[in-house]
Amino acid sequence: MRPGPAGLPTILALLVLAAAAVASVFVGRVSLSPAELTQGMFHPQTMAGLVVTELRIPRTVLAILVGASLGLSGAVLQGLLRNPLAEPGLLGVTNGAALGAVVSIYFGLSHNFGLATPLLGMAGAVAAGALTYALGRGSSLTLILAGAAASSLMAAFLALALNFAPSPYAAYEMNVWMLGSLAERSWDHVLLAAPFVAAGLAVLATMGRAVDALALGDLQAESLGIRLDRTRVLALLGVGLCVGAATSVTGAVGFIGLVAPHLIRPFVGYQPSRTLLPSALAGAALLLLADIGTRLIHTNTELRLGVLTSLLGAPFFFWLVIRVRKTAP
Amino acid sequence: MSRLSAARITVRRGGRAIVDDVSFDLEDGAFVALVGANGAGKSTLLSVLAGLMAADGGAVSLDGQALEGLDRRDLARRRAYLPQNPRAEWPIAVERLVALGLTPYLPAFGGLPGGLEPRLTQALEACDLLDHRLQPATTLSGGELARAMLARALIGDPQVLIADEPTAGLDPKHALDTMRRLKALAGQGKLVVAALHDLTLAARYSTHLMALENGRLAAFGPTAGVLTPALLKQVFDVEARIVGEGPSASVDYLAAGAGA
Amino acid sequence: MRPALRAAVIGIAAVLAGAGGPMASAAERAAPQRIMSLNLCTDLLVLQLAPKSRIASVSFLAHDGAQALFPGLDAGVPTNRGSAEDIVRAKPDLVLDSELASPFIRTLAGKVGARVVAVKDADNFADIRDIVRQVGEAVGAPARAEALIARMDATLADLAAHPPKRRLRVVAWSGGSAVPGKGSLTDAIITAAGGINIAAQPGHSEGSFGVEELLAARPELLLYGGAALGKPSLLTDEAQHRVVRTLYAGRRIAYNDVAHTCGLPQSADSARDLRQAMEAVIAKQEAAR
Repeated sequence: MRPGPAGLPTILALLVLAAAAVASVFVGRVSLSPAELTQGMFHPQTMAGLVVTELRIPRTVLAILVGASLGLSGAVLQGLLRNPLAEPGLLGVTNGAALGAVVSIYFGLSHNFGLATPLLGMAGAVAAGALTYALGRGSSLTLILAGAAASSLMAAFLALALNFAPSPYAAYEMNVWMLGSLAERSWDHVLLAAPFVAAGLAVLATMGRAVDALALGDLQAESLGIRLDRTRVLALLGVGLCVGAATSVTGAVGFIGLVAPHLIRPFVGYQPSRTLLPSALAGAALLLLADIGTRLIHTNTELRLGVLTSLLGAPFFFWLVIRVRKTAP
Repeated sequence: MSRLSAARITVRRGGRAIVDDVSFDLEDGAFVALVGANGAGKSTLLSVLAGLMAADGGAVSLDGQALEGLDRRDLARRRAYLPQNPRAEWPIAVERLVALGLTPYLPAFGGLPGGLEPRLTQALEACDLLDHRLQPATTLSGGELARAMLARALIGDPQVLIADEPTAGLDPKHALDTMRRLKALAGQGKLVVAALHDLTLAARYSTHLMALENGRLAAFGPTAGVLTPALLKQVFDVEARIVGEGPSASVDYLAAGAGA
Repeated sequence: MRPALRAAVIGIAAVLAGAGGPMASAAERAAPQRIMSLNLCTDLLVLQLAPKSRIASVSFLAHDGAQALFPGLDAGVPTNRGSAEDIVRAKPDLVLDSELASPFIRTLAGKVGARVVAVKDADNFADIRDIVRQVGEAVGAPARAEALIARMDATLADLAAHPPKRRLRVVAWSGGSAVPGKGSLTDAIITAAGGINIAAQPGHSEGSFGVEELLAARPELLLYGGAALGKPSLLTDEAQHRVVRTLYAGRRIAYNDVAHTCGLPQSADSARDLRQAMEAVIAKQEAAR
């Protein structure tokens, strides 16, 4: 096997990500000149300094963490299930995570125990993913159907929880949880999510061999020494950790997990293991670009991140469906 | 000590024995054709032999060691398994598909170690795939894909190959080609066990024949001695005539039995 | 009034009651004996104006509001959820509700023989005088209403007579993008206290005030709502943003939501409290100099 340009997509994705990260620091609702901002980085007590170090950099870091989580989760799930439509959102994982976070935040658990939000978010993510998997395993079609069912069930519970929440703003904030947002996030949120996201990414990153072997189907993969049960549990755990923790601070962000692996796949010869790392980078870059978009498009209240990713992601989804129809036997 | 042996294998599903008290010993150099009517339990028995399914009773051993006790990577190196109609799920290049057969030899991360590169070329060459090396596996024809999967199974140089219906869906030319390759493997001293539907192919190429009837072992022995009209009547419920012997043998079906 | 809270209040009220009709003068009728209030703001007025014996019920939101302003004043007063069934069962002779409530409730109240008085949202102190008088007259307590207004005006006059040393830049920021700007009751309170409401300055639009814009606007004092109705939500989480927490430590003043949401005589007390907070900040600034 020739080594191939495996590094190329990684380097490309890294470059785009780096450019987006830099842009993310320089773009915001308050226009500050690049000179002021650069100055601010070294003088964190000035206004520009606070904007850069306490608002824009944590927001950028959070976007990268969340985007990488979604991108890598999408790549692993698509590889594991051999289904090009698989992504955390379609499997109910994202809504499950949002539900956990909502319960924690609105019912005061997070106030008493700081880690309650990411922990419940992860529990919700794993529960929803396990439900989808338990009901839908067997075929791609049943899995997607079970995912849709689990996803709407979680959304219903989410609405229910917000209905019963004591805060008068709860129902008003529904859209944040359904559409996701990175607005007004701080280092607090980064610190809350980062350890779990990092653990989840680490778990998912070990799954290269398994998703490669699974390109041959379950039986051959198993005959090659891959433990399917363990692989599935690990994938669920990894996705639950990173998507659960990420969603619990940003709400549900759709389509990044779906799109990122598809962007990468042609560049890596469709080999599932080589899709993983670049998909994480591409997911981070996509989310960052979408977040920059929400800041550039001026509306009275800030455009929601999830609105942009859905606007961009849904047409992609259509294209994917059309392509699957064409290539399906 | 025999290479692969089954001792009183039983598999039950829903109260019914799909494989019922089957025992045998298989040696290197044999090409064993497993035959039987639809639902006789061939695929189940092969899965148990390959260590992919646990039997409800009995045990399978490879080189005298029980399969359950073997490390899965170790097992994967020593036996290869090909399911029915294997297919590639992504349009990966043929060479990468074939290289997946080396999975049990690879470290957890990284590409293919340089030392294994010659093996890949060798496996591709052995299955006449050098021209298709970089072609996406999903665009291969049925015969090419069967060869690619065979190459995938053989690249790790296993001692035992277990294949479920390796000729299913292949046109006559490619079916004959596949059988020739399997026989050649047995000739090199490997043990090949394959479920087969085409009895003529079984008669011509296999060294041994194993017949299953409702999960029970109806017959097992050298093909020439075991494959008789009486056995076919018993196992398939058909009147059949067997003409010729060895590479020129053929099985003609004359009439369905009374029970059909 | 903070738009989000106002939206919530109006939202609840909108389902319930109809627009106000022409009012007959109080002298022409006997004082109502079974007063039913369907809206938090009318609840808080009627509790101050009418004796408990004549209040049939107040809305279920009244308790939290009363607790923040005059604890105990609502003790023993039944509550309603503003539903049609509540009205039919209670057989009120006077129904008080927001101007923006549904016509259905108004028709229904008419059918059970009640007079409906629709009370507008107050956006300034003149509005407050109007609605206190309106409710006072409706419940048959015009003198009590005038007394409350007089007390409020005395507080306001005192604030106006003794302006602060310096007009501080203030904004009522409780996280999120809902910041009261020009024409809001909060703006009137800040102005009466002698501050400058940044959100009412040209170039700032109400409803959009992220943390970044907040820092850029350089307020000297932050008013922080939600303490009275302090149930956790994303908005309160945003309000605790760590840069705001550290940068405005000691310069964030929790205000009484209810007096900013509903036009009440107590809204003047909010202005007085704000004045005290501003003077404390000015004193600290001078001490630091």
